[in-house]
Amino acid sequence: MDKAKKSEQDRKKGNAVLYIIGDSPLIEEYADFCSLRGYEVLCQLNSGKKAEKTKSYKQSNLIPAKTSLALELTNSDLSLKRKNMERLDKALPATSAILSTSITVTATEQSSWIQKKHRLVGFGALPGFLERPLVEVAPTVFSPPQTMEVVKTFFRSLGKELEIVQDRVGMVLPRILCQIINESVFALQEDVASPADIDTAMKLGVNYPLGPIEWADRIGFKNVYAVLSALENDMREDRYRVAPLLKQMAESGDWWKQTRTSS
Amino acid sequence: MFKHLGVVGAGTMGAGIAQIAALTNTDVMLYDINETILRRALERIKTDLKNGVTKGKITAEQMTEAVTRIHPRTSLADLHSCEFVIEAVIEDLRVKKDLFQHLETNVKTSTILASNTSSLSVTAIASVLHKPERVVGMHFFNPAHIMKLVEVIAGRNTSQDTVQRTFELSRLLGKVPVLVKDTPGFIVNRVARPFYGEALRILGENVATHEQIDRIVKSVGGFPMGPFELMDLIGIDINLSVTQSMFDQYFGEPRYRPHPIQKQMVDSGMLGRKSGKGFYDYSNNKPE
Repeated sequence: MDKAKKSEQDRKKGNAVLYIIGDSPLIEEYADFCSLRGYEVLCQLNSGKKAEKTKSYKQSNLIPAKTSLALELTNSDLSLKRKNMERLDKALPATSAILSTSITVTATEQSSWIQKKHRLVGFGALPGFLERPLVEVAPTVFSPPQTMEVVKTFFRSLGKELEIVQDRVGMVLPRILCQIINESVFALQEDVASPADIDTAMKLGVNYPLGPIEWADRIGFKNVYAVLSALENDMREDRYRVAPLLKQMAESGDWWKQTRTSS
Repeated sequence: MFKHLGVVGAGTMGAGIAQIAALTNTDVMLYDINETILRRALERIKTDLKNGVTKGKITAEQMTEAVTRIHPRTSLADLHSCEFVIEAVIEDLRVKKDLFQHLETNVKTSTILASNTSSLSVTAIASVLHKPERVVGMHFFNPAHIMKLVEVIAGRNTSQDTVQRTFELSRLLGKVPVLVKDTPGFIVNRVARPFYGEALRILGENVATHEQIDRIVKSVGGFPMGPFELMDLIGIDINLSVTQSMFDQYFGEPRYRPHPIQKQMVDSGMLGRKSGKGFYDYSNNKPE
């Protein structure tokens, strides 16, 4: 608490803005989390809609020049992600860094979308993990120590340590976790067991903190599908093919939510 | 409903199952072909119950009563009084089929015959019986007296009634039963495959080191153990053989393909904790 307060004061002196762009609910998670830790947050939802109103952060389509760090949090719609990155690159001064989620497209590939490649660092973010004390970070070949220093300072101010991994599709945890979820949905589609029993089995049989299906509900099947199909496209191996039922769960969100709550 | 439970095979799993049954006021006929194994099993159960008393988990009376409820037997005919028999012998289809045939001639026609198999087909085990509808899978997790889960496996010919009574017994033993169709790996061993398999692929592709992967899986994912720590604990040879068995039973499905890293470690004798070295070094009894 004391630490958080101190960093809050430090940042208020600086008057720097954190600009966040991406999909709900990840964007609200980050905006809330960062503004509670003293950042002046401006955010914009991909949908163009207003995020759940809270007092802690503002929304704006304009990217202010005093932005010191921008977060790009789009995981599913990559053409939209590219547009966001191009916009950020044009609007931000050369000294501002961009942290962009690099689970479904590598940071290296994203660096080919922008002019000032030195400002970009990739990281892993999916809904539901913000409270965790560690974050996966993937620099590109263009990321200089100065940019890494900004990134390190930012995550430490959120109480997170960094784990530097190679810049590959899926990174580490999203790849393992989404493949577990994929396997559980293959089992579901083969009628091996009910969703509730699959969750119970993994929690009580091997002490998983959440069952794979409830985990997917929390991350969002749309995001899980985005990670898995990115892996499938990147690897081009049968091992990474997405369970057809999982694709349906992702694409008919309301149907699955209703099925889930009525069962 | 189940006054007498039969447990066949007094190894780790059999003894664990007998122990929880005795603690939930069920008389257990604990059968093993080998008298020495039976004696050792009883000693182990007594030691564990004593620890339970020391830790205040059970009373001394409960311990004494539980011990008197376990009846060691070396003749299958002594299982005649049992309404329910759980088999926990070696994972070998021939041995299990043979045992179930013997059991059928020794128990009442209404007795349910459950197999604690983790990797064999319940349908295949049941195939040798006149009444395959009374055969069911009852997959406990090690240590059986602690882990709450029981996978109840319905084979191709298992009856509804058999499944229902297996659920009742599981709950009586304080377990949480889940219903599973008879398919390779059931739920847990199947859905857990990518936990190890993807971690090995990530390591093999040099995305991160095994220490990093373990840290990320625990710190970001909230899993109690990382995949490499867990493989070391389970035994890399055991983990490889489970994976290989899944791969074979699904006729080469690439999602279950073992990784060359596992094979090489087994070949080099690095089997995990039990050999002193696996992904981590245990020569000082601690992962560095």
